[in-house]
Amino acid sequence: MGNVFGRKGRPSRVTEQDRAILQLKQQRDKLRQYQKRITLQLEKERLLAKQLLKDGKKERALLLLKKKRYQDGLLDKTENQIANLERMVQDIEFAQIEIKVIEGLKVGNDCLKRMHEVMSIEDVERILEETQDAIEYQRQIDELLAGALTEEDEEAVLAELEAIALGEDVTLPEVPSEPLPAETEGELERNKAKQKPEREMLAA
Amino acid sequence: MSFEWPWQYNFPPFFTLQPNVDTRQKQLAAWCSLVLSYCRHRKLYTLDVMEAQESPVFNNKKIARKLSMEAIQVVFEELRKKGNLEWMDKNKTRCLVMWRRPEEWGKLIYQWVSKNGMVNSVFTLYELSNGDDTENEEFHGLEEWMLLRSLQALQTEGKAEIITMDDGKGVKFF
Repeated sequence: MGNVFGRKGRPSRVTEQDRAILQLKQQRDKLRQYQKRITLQLEKERLLAKQLLKDGKKERALLLLKKKRYQDGLLDKTENQIANLERMVQDIEFAQIEIKVIEGLKVGNDCLKRMHEVMSIEDVERILEETQDAIEYQRQIDELLAGALTEEDEEAVLAELEAIALGEDVTLPEVPSEPLPAETEGELERNKAKQKPEREMLAA
Repeated sequence: MSFEWPWQYNFPPFFTLQPNVDTRQKQLAAWCSLVLSYCRHRKLYTLDVMEAQESPVFNNKKIARKLSMEAIQVVFEELRKKGNLEWMDKNKTRCLVMWRRPEEWGKLIYQWVSKNGMVNSVFTLYELSNGDDTENEEFHGLEEWMLLRSLQALQTEGKAEIITMDDGKGVKFF
């Protein structure tokens, strides 16, 4: 299934099941043709019976109708057989799909197994422990560094915080008075061009 | 839907091969397109030269003009050069007309197959050209030789594989 588009010297991709399906379908086609023939014949005979009745040949008309009745039965039987054949085709096709599903599951299962081999429980525990240690270490460093600030510094920091909170000392630039320039086409295109490669990366 | 004849069809000189090379070239081109569009309209895939002579294409009863046998042969030969026609016998009495190339037919069929989610399925040729499912498709009623060629075209593209069995052929699409 992997190389649907592969072009190497391909061996026949037709399986035994495909041949079986084809055979069933051919059988069905033959029945269909038979059905067509009988239907046409029935129509013809009905007309003929009508004609015979008109001519006063009641006996023959009756005989013809009997024959027609028999063929009607045949038609029904063929219909059933066609249904049988078609059910068989569907069964085979579905079984093929089931096989594909199982194959897919198997591949997935193998893949999971292989990944689990790489990642043992002990490893995970060890890594988690190490991470915990590293966090602890970092915290200690943080503490040391934070403690390194002098009292003076702390005061300056607080004062600055207050100043910001009061809104003092905050000089905003003047709002421009001229209207905003419309986005030029060049820029638009550049923007698009910027977006494109991203999409391609996603697709890949 | 009735067939729309080109204006030339009611123009008597159209039914006589023109001696002037340029005019003749144009005339032949017009004939070729007329024959192809007529066959397309009537869904004809094979032509018999004798019968063709009597068909309305080459025989305009309204203006009492008819293309001569030799001229028909010239037109057919022109079509052959363009790849739209193939002779079925040496005596050139019957021919295959391809108003759509096998590749194009193949494309149409493949489109139908993939639209209906039937890629990877097996079909009989009868089913494709005469089945109930293809009733409304353009390729319904396609003659077997043409169907086979379109499938062969698909096969070279790797989109189909023709299966030969003792009684009849089938195809699997990919």
